[in-house]
Amino acid sequence: MLKIIVPTMMLIPSTCLTATKNTWLSPTAYSAVIIILGMLVLNPGDTLMNTTGLLLGSDQISTPLLMLSCWLLPLMFMASQSSMSHNPAQQKRLFITALALLQLALMLVFMALDLMLFYTTFEATLIPTLMVIARWGSQTERLGAGLYFLLYTITSSMPLLIALLWVYNMKGTASITLLQLLPPMTLTFWTNTLLWTSLMLAFLVKIPIYGLHLWLPKAHVEAPIAGSMVLAAILLKLGGYGLLRITNLLTEQTTSSYILPLAVALWGALMTGMVCLRQTDLKSLIAYSSVSHMGLMTSSILTHNQLAPSGSMIMMVAHGLTSSMLFCLANINYERTHSRTLLLTQGVQLTAPAMTSWWLLACLTNMALPPTINFIGELTLMVSLFDWADITIFLTGLSAFITSFYTLHMFSSTQQGTLPTHIITMSPTQTREHLLMTLHSAPSIALIFMPQLMYCQ
Amino acid sequence: MMRTCRALLPRPGRRLRSGPGRLWDLPGDLQKTVSNFQNQLKENVTNLFKNPFFDEKRPPMQAEVVIAGGGVMGWSVAYWLKALEPRKNTLRVLVVERDTTYSRASTVLSVGGIRQQFSLPENIQMSRYSAYFLRTINVCQEHLGVAGEPAIDIQFNPSGYLFLATEERAAMLEENVSIQRAEGSEVILLSPTQLKKKFPWLNTDGVALASYGLEDEGWFDPWSLLTAFRRKAISMGVHHCCGEVTSFTMAFYDTVTPTGEERTVSHIKYARIQMPDSLEYCQVACAIVVNAAGAWSRKLTEIAEVESSVSKTKQIFKLPVEPKKRYVYVWHSPDGPGLNCPMLIDTTGAYFRREGLGGNYVGGMSPAEDEEPDIQDLEVDHEFFQEKVWPKLAHRVPAFESLKVKGSWAGYYDYNTFDQNAVLGLHPTVLNMVFVTGFSGHGLQQSPAAGRAVAELILNKKFETINLSRFSADRFLSGEPVLERNIV
Repeated sequence: MLKIIVPTMMLIPSTCLTATKNTWLSPTAYSAVIIILGMLVLNPGDTLMNTTGLLLGSDQISTPLLMLSCWLLPLMFMASQSSMSHNPAQQKRLFITALALLQLALMLVFMALDLMLFYTTFEATLIPTLMVIARWGSQTERLGAGLYFLLYTITSSMPLLIALLWVYNMKGTASITLLQLLPPMTLTFWTNTLLWTSLMLAFLVKIPIYGLHLWLPKAHVEAPIAGSMVLAAILLKLGGYGLLRITNLLTEQTTSSYILPLAVALWGALMTGMVCLRQTDLKSLIAYSSVSHMGLMTSSILTHNQLAPSGSMIMMVAHGLTSSMLFCLANINYERTHSRTLLLTQGVQLTAPAMTSWWLLACLTNMALPPTINFIGELTLMVSLFDWADITIFLTGLSAFITSFYTLHMFSSTQQGTLPTHIITMSPTQTREHLLMTLHSAPSIALIFMPQLMYCQ
Repeated sequence: MMRTCRALLPRPGRRLRSGPGRLWDLPGDLQKTVSNFQNQLKENVTNLFKNPFFDEKRPPMQAEVVIAGGGVMGWSVAYWLKALEPRKNTLRVLVVERDTTYSRASTVLSVGGIRQQFSLPENIQMSRYSAYFLRTINVCQEHLGVAGEPAIDIQFNPSGYLFLATEERAAMLEENVSIQRAEGSEVILLSPTQLKKKFPWLNTDGVALASYGLEDEGWFDPWSLLTAFRRKAISMGVHHCCGEVTSFTMAFYDTVTPTGEERTVSHIKYARIQMPDSLEYCQVACAIVVNAAGAWSRKLTEIAEVESSVSKTKQIFKLPVEPKKRYVYVWHSPDGPGLNCPMLIDTTGAYFRREGLGGNYVGGMSPAEDEEPDIQDLEVDHEFFQEKVWPKLAHRVPAFESLKVKGSWAGYYDYNTFDQNAVLGLHPTVLNMVFVTGFSGHGLQQSPAAGRAVAELILNKKFETINLSRFSADRFLSGEPVLERNIV
């Protein structure tokens, strides 16, 4: 574990000390090397934890997400190069430092074996993200967006702290490995529901679940490209990861309070899909589509079905890559036309046909087209829900239909239609952008052939 | 003094109060206290939620449409962009105006007439649409009424325009009237005898024919229209700031036109706005820039084009819009035409109209080509009135032999030296600059229609209500003027 953490920590001084002409090159290359180091912990088929001591370890839930976050760091650097180009060198370094700190906190969350370390680093991810959104976002609304993001997450995780301390008190240990192995005690306290809610709420807000999702469109739209990428790809999955861990701990609670969030999440998946159809802002559309996908995942995890963890793992990795790719594509459009509205960026197939193929790939994966991993994940989640109750098939089927509807609407609005005369000539697509798209879609396609890397039993 | 003090001491039967007794009005007091408390709370809470970093003076960092120029054209475009967008908050629109007192703006210095008596069908259609707009201006959802605010009083006097023509120009006048009637305007032709009967104060010497507009012609208050557009646009979410667009950050591309020649086109990426009275500037990332700068449109276009001369391409396009100064005089004549007075345009080009109901009149004349006044400032030349305007008016209206000049002012026409008609459309080489300028004196009356046309061009990529493609800027490159014969 240290072989990943220490290099990520050292990324910060090395960025500050490199020459100005290597400001982007050096961290990108460095973080690419960290990816390779990260692959050393990938251990499919191993149900025991890779551990080094009491605090850090990885298992089948955390390893794919760890890999995803390592993979995305060089991509974030590549994507921000153009939009940060007019900032002075010191601010570029500060930006890279913020992202590196965020990466450090994320790695520690995914590798944490101690509940307190998990909670601390979970909260610690908020600070660098707030820095990135509020400092380098581009509208005045970014301050409100940062505030919403911060307050929603912090308020919902206060009860989480108390509940985790209760768990430590009751069980005598805060170590996740040990907690999984302890025999369950049947608890019938009247505070069962309260405990369940306080443990779940933070993750439900983070995922986000439909009623508590207001922070997400704001934060995603106002963040700069790197912020949007990391928010959509990883920070949402923190909620999913937490949910998976906590449902393991709560096996003894006999409470039926899981039904309400399940129903709300499922309904929300459908509702946010319909909201997508009415969006005029491209980034806002992609943000709502994230809520929709995550809603399906939440309801599946809450059914406590056996298929749910593997389905949600596949869905998390797949959605992370796809959503990040869509945000990158939206940013590429924005850099050329300085406009995010679907109205003014129509018909770009005529000016940048190479990007159209990437748009098509991103939209197809977003729609969960077979045989992509998005499809596998979505199907597994739908099956797990169907197993729990037959009737959910109507909602999940309808939600999948609406997903394809708005995705194709997004594709045809941006690519086809009359090209406005003021963007007839756009600057050509750069190699960096093509590389970015390749690095997003290649793992997605490669994983079709080896999904065992993401399964967990 | 001792006596009065003792008189004030409490005695049996005497109360301590010095004023008349008041009943303790518990419900009323409570009501007042509660409403005071509510107002205070509302104020405190709104202050709490006011973003301390949000600065009303500075523009946002990104706006889809930046409109340079806050006269009636700029605000009209802003209003129509918001009115015609498919969903709320699709576009962020920013209007940049450098002088919020409007001391030199053509809009507020205009005489404010509206007429349909043009010779180009497009001009007639624009004026007819604007007249319809002015008549329905207070309809809330459709036009400029804002719920909860007082109704707009545009002070539209529908007194009509009267064009007088000599023998030589009578045929052209008749032709123009037939074009106007074909478009649906209510314009009639009058012979000298009919003129004399209708307007007894008129001297029909030398007049062969006259055309009189019966409907939708007259004058209105330009300031009311400007503030109405402004108020409604701001209530719909248009951002505005006081500042001057001083430079653009552009990107250049080499392309080949359909005819085969090579051309360098450019794209405005950022607009740099200088804050008033300060060295500070703000960069706004923009997708489209609308040039609504009126008399200063050419200066703004040159700012956009100056970069291309740096890249050594020949400048193929120069916007032929220049400011031209025009004088307006106000006089009082007690024996004048009275209430039965249209906007009269004489055979010589002098014009006047009634102003208010007290015997005041407003008028002037466009000077000849070689007598153009200096445009450096807005000083009025009184000699011009004494020597050029008054004799002609006095000849036409004998009552004007005795008049007293009450005041005068001068304003700029954004004069299109090529063909005195509007320039509406995209710049040929700067791909995202849209012109809405060059109206040469009939801008105010066409502002609602022109604003709508430009908004449709931006949102739907083509004109929908009125086809104004003849007014595009390409006509300067191909050299075909679209001439308007009836310029005042």
